[in-house]
Amino acid sequence: MSVDIHAPYKERVDTALHDKHLRIALDRATSRMKTQRADAMAAIDGERLRTQVRKMKSYVLRNLPDLLETLESNLTANGAHVHWAADGEEADRIILDIARQANVQKAVKAKSMTSEEIHLNGVLQQAGIKVVETDLGEYIIQLADEPPSHIIAPVIHKRIEDISQVFQRELDMPPTMDPSAMTGAARQILRREFLSADLGISGCNFAIAETGTICIVTNEGNGRMVSSMPRVYIAVMGIEKLVPTVEDAFLQYQALCRSATGQQCSVYLSMTSGPRRADHPDGPEEFHVVLMDNGRLNMLARGYGEALMCVRCGACLNACPVYREIGGHAYGSTYSGPIGAVISPLLNTDVTDADKLPHASSLCGACRDACPVKIDLPRLLLNERADQVAEGDTAWFDRQAIRAFADTMKSPGRYAAAASFARTGSNLLAGMSGGNITFMPPPFSAWTQSRDFPPFAKKSFRRQWRERQERRKRIGNEGQRSKIED
Amino acid sequence: MTTRETILNRLRSELRRPDLPFPLGNTPPLTSDERMTVTAASGTLWELAERFGAELTALHGTYEIVGTPTEARLALINRLLTWREEERAAYRGPKPQTGQEDQVLGWADEALPVPGIADALADLGIEVIAPAALYSSEERDAVRFIRYGVTGVQAAFAGTGSMLMVAGPKTSRAASLLPLRHIALIPFSRLYPAIEDWLAAERNAGTLTSVLRANANVTLITGPSKSADIEMNLTLGVHGPKFVHAILFEDDVER
Repeated sequence: MSVDIHAPYKERVDTALHDKHLRIALDRATSRMKTQRADAMAAIDGERLRTQVRKMKSYVLRNLPDLLETLESNLTANGAHVHWAADGEEADRIILDIARQANVQKAVKAKSMTSEEIHLNGVLQQAGIKVVETDLGEYIIQLADEPPSHIIAPVIHKRIEDISQVFQRELDMPPTMDPSAMTGAARQILRREFLSADLGISGCNFAIAETGTICIVTNEGNGRMVSSMPRVYIAVMGIEKLVPTVEDAFLQYQALCRSATGQQCSVYLSMTSGPRRADHPDGPEEFHVVLMDNGRLNMLARGYGEALMCVRCGACLNACPVYREIGGHAYGSTYSGPIGAVISPLLNTDVTDADKLPHASSLCGACRDACPVKIDLPRLLLNERADQVAEGDTAWFDRQAIRAFADTMKSPGRYAAAASFARTGSNLLAGMSGGNITFMPPPFSAWTQSRDFPPFAKKSFRRQWRERQERRKRIGNEGQRSKIED
Repeated sequence: MTTRETILNRLRSELRRPDLPFPLGNTPPLTSDERMTVTAASGTLWELAERFGAELTALHGTYEIVGTPTEARLALINRLLTWREEERAAYRGPKPQTGQEDQVLGWADEALPVPGIADALADLGIEVIAPAALYSSEERDAVRFIRYGVTGVQAAFAGTGSMLMVAGPKTSRAASLLPLRHIALIPFSRLYPAIEDWLAAERNAGTLTSVLRANANVTLITGPSKSADIEMNLTLGVHGPKFVHAILFEDDVER
C-alpha cells in the first residue's frame, strides 16, 4: 500500500497512518538522523554556526538581484550558458531545447528536488529522451515508479524488504537482504549509464556569486559523474540558492552536512565553474545553468522571504512529530515536512489540497530548533493560517465554533455551564473507551477520527483554585493562632 | 521584457518595499573576522597527519605516514601489490579478462608529488595510464575496468580528513572517481589544519577565486563513496571508490 500523492489530503494522511510498514521505515530512519544531527552540532559551537549561516543567508536575500547578476556574469565569463525561467514550464522547455540541440538520447540525473518540483523527468521522457536517476535512493524509487519522500533520503519510506522486492521485480536480481549486494548491482548498471549518457542533470546546493561556481553535495559520487562524464551538463536551481563568497560556501556546506546527516563533510563536494578547458582529459563540453523563479518571488512578496534561506538539509523533517507519523508522500508535494508545509502552498506547484499543509503541524517548534538557518517555521505556518483566515478561507464550522467560543468566554456564567457540561460529557465518553476519548459525536468526531482526546479534569481549575484559597485561609488562621499561643 | 529582466526588476521592487517583513533592511555580510572555523585542528605537521589519518579511518578509509618521498613511493607500490593480491584471492572461479588488471588510472607522472612512480611501477609490470582524453566511448572503454587510481592532491585538511582535487590537463577527474580503489599521495606541504586555513591562505595570496574559475572543476573528497539510502545501512563504493588510501609524507617543499 502506498500513498497516492494526488489524492485528497485527508485520504493521503489516512493511508499513511494505516501503513504499518511505512511507520517502521520512518521510525528506523528519522530517529537515527535526528541523533546524528544533534551529535554533530553538539561537537562544535553549533549555535554560533547557525547564527552565522543565518546572517550570511539574510545578506544574500537582501542583495539577491546584485548577487544574481554577479553570478551570471562570472558564469558567462567562465564559459557557461545562463538561462532564466519564470516557472517550471519555462525551465522544462529550456532544458528540453538544450537536450534537442545537443542531440541527446540519454540523460543521467543526480538527485535534485528542483527538477522534481518541475516534473522534468516526465517532460524529457515524453520527448523520447531516456532519463536515469543515479542517486541510489532515487534509482530505487524510479524503478518502483514513485516520487521521493524526503529531501535527502528519498526512499526513506521503504523497508529493506520492500527494496529487495523492487530489485527482484525490476532487475531480475536474486532475493537478497544484503544492502551491499543491492548497491553492487546498482553500481554496475549505473556505471554503464554514466559512461554512455550524453547529458548530465543536477540541482544545485549553492552557487558562489564571486566565482560563478555551481556546487553539489553528494555521498555516492553520482554528482561527480553527472557533472564530469556526459558531453553536456545542466544545473537547475532556484534563484535563492546563492552564497556571496567561497568562504561562505564552505560555511554553508559544513552546516548543511552536519544538519542533514551529521557528517563533518559529505564524501563529495563538486564545484563546477565552467565547461572543461580545451586541454582537460575529462569534463563536459557544454555547461548550462538554469535560474528558476517558479513562485519564489511570490514567497518573498507575500512575506515568506525567510523560507527562501532554506538550505534543504531535511533536519526539520526528521525533527517533526507529524512528518515522523505520516511520512513525505502524505504532504502530496515535492517538499514535505515543516519546510514543505510552508513553501508548497506558495510555490507554483500542483499540490492537491496545498492549503491544508500549514495545518499539518503541532507548532511544537522542534523544526525551528533543528534548522541550521534558524528559520522560524512555526511562525511562518501560523502566518499562513492567519492569511487563510484573512482571505475568508475558513470552514463554516470553524467560524461558528470560534463565534460560540467567543460568546461563551465573555460570560462567567455561560463559561461555567459549558465547562461543567464538557467535564461530565468528556468523562462519560472517556469511561466508555477506557482512559482517552477515542470517539466523539459530530462535529467533534472530526478530531477523534485521527487522534485521541484527553477527558477534561474531574475538577475544573476554577473549582480547584477556590478550594485552594479556602484551604490557605484556614491554614493562615491556624498559623496565626499558634503564634499567639507561643 | 525578457524573463531575466522581469525577475530582476520584480526582485528589486519587492526588496524596496518598506513593509516587506523579511529580509530586514540592515543585513551586513558575514565578515572574514567573525566567520568561524567549523572543524578545527592544530598541532605539528606530524600531529596533523595523524589527525587526518584518524578522521579518514573513522570514514572507513586507510592511511599511512612516512618520512620521505622515496618511502611514499615504496608505500604506494606495496599498497598496490597488497590490493592486487586481495582482488585475486577474492575471485573464485574463472576471472573475466579485461586486459586492464595490471593498469593504474593516474595523474600524469609530472603532476604527482612523488617522482618516478610510472617507472617504478613499470618494473613490476604495472602500467600507469594518464589519458589525454576520455571523451569517446573507445577512450573510455580503454580505462573503464581499471581497478586502481593514483593521484596527488591540491590540498588536504586534517580536521575533516578531506582532500581537494583540482581538474587540469594532467590531473583527470576520472583517476579519483572511476576506479574501485584510490590512493592519494599527500605531501606535508599541502596539509592544512582545516578547510578555513587553506581558504585564508589562498585569499591572502590573491589566488582563491582563480583556483575555482580557471579550472572548470574543483572537488572536495572526504572518505570512500557511500550511501545509507537502504534503510540507513552504510554501504561503501556506490559510484566512486570503495577503498581510499592516503599516503602522507614529509617533504621539503616550501608552502
